[in-house]
Amino acid sequence: MSAEKTVLVIEDETAILTFLRSSLEQNGWTMLEARNGRVGLELAASKKPSVILLDLGLPDQDGLLVLKALRQWTSAPVIIISARGQEHDKVRGLNAGADDYLTKPFGIPELMARLRVALRHAAQKPEDVPPVYDREGLKVDLVARRVWLKKKEIHLSPLQYNLLAVLVRNAGRVVRQDQLMKDVWGESRDVTPELVRITVHQLRHKIEPDPVRPRSLKTEPGVGYRLEALDE
Amino acid sequence: MKKLRDYSFAVAVPALATAVSFVLYPYLELTNLVMVYLLGTLAVAARGHRGPAALSAAASVLCFDFFFVPPRYTFRVSDVEYLWTFAGMFLAAMIISHLTVRLREEAEAARQGEERSVWLLEKAKKAEVDAETERLRSSLLSSVSHDFRTPLTAIVGSAGTLLDRQELQHNPAVRELLENIQEEGERLSHLVQNLLETTRLESGAVQIRKELTPLEEVVGSALERVQKSLRDRAVKVDIPEDLPLIPMDATLMEQVFINLLENGARHTPAEAGLEISAAVQGGSVLMTMADHGAGLKPEAMERVFDKFYHDQSSHGAGLGLAICRAIVNAHGGRIWAENRPPHEQAGERLSSGARPGGGAIFRFTLPLGDVLER
Repeated sequence: MSAEKTVLVIEDETAILTFLRSSLEQNGWTMLEARNGRVGLELAASKKPSVILLDLGLPDQDGLLVLKALRQWTSAPVIIISARGQEHDKVRGLNAGADDYLTKPFGIPELMARLRVALRHAAQKPEDVPPVYDREGLKVDLVARRVWLKKKEIHLSPLQYNLLAVLVRNAGRVVRQDQLMKDVWGESRDVTPELVRITVHQLRHKIEPDPVRPRSLKTEPGVGYRLEALDE
Repeated sequence: MKKLRDYSFAVAVPALATAVSFVLYPYLELTNLVMVYLLGTLAVAARGHRGPAALSAAASVLCFDFFFVPPRYTFRVSDVEYLWTFAGMFLAAMIISHLTVRLREEAEAARQGEERSVWLLEKAKKAEVDAETERLRSSLLSSVSHDFRTPLTAIVGSAGTLLDRQELQHNPAVRELLENIQEEGERLSHLVQNLLETTRLESGAVQIRKELTPLEEVVGSALERVQKSLRDRAVKVDIPEDLPLIPMDATLMEQVFINLLENGARHTPAEAGLEISAAVQGGSVLMTMADHGAGLKPEAMERVFDKFYHDQSSHGAGLGLAICRAIVNAHGGRIWAENRPPHEQAGERLSSGARPGGGAIFRFTLPLGDVLER
């Protein structure tokens, strides 16, 4: 990984910029700031940041428009910052090409985890051999197509395995429900959101020691699911 | 009738002016007497009718000429200059009356316009007015929500940034204070969220999107989000494996469980456990959230779900349970509170911290209707 980790923060609130700068620099990031969408787009083009943090409520234009403009020429990971209760905005942001989101107010560990995951996924090439997922007793080897829970191999149905595989490939990142429908069920027209939930439910009963308190496969209400990131 | 009065006034005024002029004649120059007549004519013109104004102006000219312009008591005029005076008087009267009439007409037009817009507004469809109100309300809501969230995000984030610093790792007193700031900021943010949620629910701005969802998933994400405020409190969850999927709005129902859990945590001792269970009952699923606190006073049983209701011992805003009721009702369900019957106490094993006196039980139903149709 390159030594230079830059994050472009497109946000108009000084108070938020202040603590972001402090916490980002403390964690080895170089921060660029843009207080409106126009400057944000300019800096994204000229400085080529490794990650972009984008607040959806900007003074000069809708954050979603900024996102759409960014996505026309850059694949740099974009993490949107939005408020709770605005699940609709999150889904729209993810549909428009955002990689993930943070909900206000957010903790610093959460912010750093999102950035790390974004960086890791950005560095991944399609031809790379996926690493073995091994965390909290759950081990998934995508090459061997085998899954273990607490060192005991478990057997999943093809749908359950495919769903888990999509989540493992996106470890640490939110995966939208409709994305799962597309990636797991493909062209099948019989797939419904209920079917996704039922499959996740069944999967949890196999890979989670206590399915009502999942340690790995978390629900992102109104959006989708997230498999916890591998620790660094 | 009104016209007659205007014309009488138009004649009476020059007569009065003549009388006044007679009194003033010894003291004033002739040109100043003209002012007396002019004043009278203006008074008539100001009533805003051209006819009486013209009549009054003509009468004034004639009276002035007859009574005062030498040779007096004839209509003959010795000095031609007085003809200019007459013309001036007449013109002034006509202009004033014309202006007044126009002013009146414009005022009338404005009044009619206003009446018309009021009429139009009333006539406008109620739905349109409602839509406008709704748009205003939601834009107000989102700006209030933004104005509260920004400082709270900065407070929580700044405390978090300091907590993240290496040099503070070994200063427990400072750490504790920072954690305090962070946690209380989060709590405040949660309260603001509840307040906004209440307003949104009441205004009907919330659209219920029911989708068949496993209850376990909703309870699971609620537990995840209250983890911090529950700390080490034991929560026993008993959801039967064969419980059908429930048609519900998962994000709203998560809020119901969060509020019930936080309510339970707030009103019971730190070590008292909480229990969540569910069972099919007729065409509904009956959800139960039981605590091991002191239970509810009889008068609180109904009122706990009222907005801003809270007893002396609590510190909440009194919104959590009101939100629960609004969401459950919107799903076609019902929510109510009970006290734990005393005999249940004996058999409890998990609730080692239970106090005598039972505990409160919150129950709500969600209809399965849509599932059975499928």
